Amino acid sequence: MVNFQLWLERTLLSVEWVARFMRTEWGWPIVESVHFIGLTLLFGAIAAWDLRLLGMAKRVPIAAFHRLVPFAVLGFAINALSGSMFLMTEPDQYLYNPAFHFKLLFMALAGLNVMVFYVAVFRRVSGLAPGADEPHSVKAVGAASLICWTGVIVCGRLLTWYRPDPCDPSEAIGFLADCILR
Amino acid sequence: MRESTSIFAFPIVLSLHTIGLGLIAGLNVALNLRILGVAPRIPAADFRFFLPLMRCGLWVNVTSGLALLAAYPTKALTNPVFYLKLGFIVVALVILKVVRRHLLIEGVSLTVSMSNKARILATASLLCWTGAIIAGRLLAYTYTRLMVDSVPRP
Repeated sequence: MVNFQLWLERTLLSVEWVARFMRTEWGWPIVESVHFIGLTLLFGAIAAWDLRLLGMAKRVPIAAFHRLVPFAVLGFAINALSGSMFLMTEPDQYLYNPAFHFKLLFMALAGLNVMVFYVAVFRRVSGLAPGADEPHSVKAVGAASLICWTGVIVCGRLLTWYRPDPCDPSEAIGFLADCILR
Repeated sequence: MRESTSIFAFPIVLSLHTIGLGLIAGLNVALNLRILGVAPRIPAADFRFFLPLMRCGLWVNVTSGLALLAAYPTKALTNPVFYLKLGFIVVALVILKVVRRHLLIEGVSLTVSMSNKARILATASLLCWTGAIIAGRLLAYTYTRLMVDSVPRP
């Protein structure tokens, strides 16, 4: 695992032009703003969709609400891109940060939930008449999604409080002491 | 909160502020995009079902925002960007009120004559929320004094 983290850190650092831009006076704040706009798009659209799955606004056909999903995908794309720019600039601040590990875990769970939804549950949703009660499986997917994305936001905000000391992989002993064994 | 014995007090309030942001601004962005012609099969008036949720997001953010302000009042109040953020939010909320009164009524659908005005409002609202988010993020970079008795940052 440590070897993988070291390799990943070196690989991320190799994209030097991103780090150079991020270290300009306005680079980091601009990308952070973009990351929050993406977050708003993703969470707003997905929360509306999840709440519809949970039974809010029952009269509106689910198929119509499904058209909000592309905005969530757009928000996710914006955030995957802007998020990886943080990683390419200060990889050690994320790769050795427990809050970041949990953030990735919640994202993976949310992704799994999306797969479960489209593979197993979507058929039961699309045929649902407006006003009909959603099956429990549909509600479970909606609730899981809300919980996962809330977890992603909370862990994202917690990143600052769990930042490790700056780690330099070229100084093997100091790196081990400061970053791995801490 | 700043001196709370729980190291989680600040991050929890900050997380709440971010979740509230997603609810009020996110759903408002979805509504604006609908007015601008996206997802035309959703009746625009049906967005009124989400008004309680947006109101909930707003109150979460008013409360958590006041708590954050109480923790570092000087930091925000001496920063012009903070007033810019509040300005953007107020304008966005006024636009939402107008849209709600004229558009989010049962049985009212977007007609051609109405949609031009509505499009302008929706665009303005999108710009306001974008501005509020950017200004909010910049608060962490543009403050000059952290505490009332601290030395101004160069």
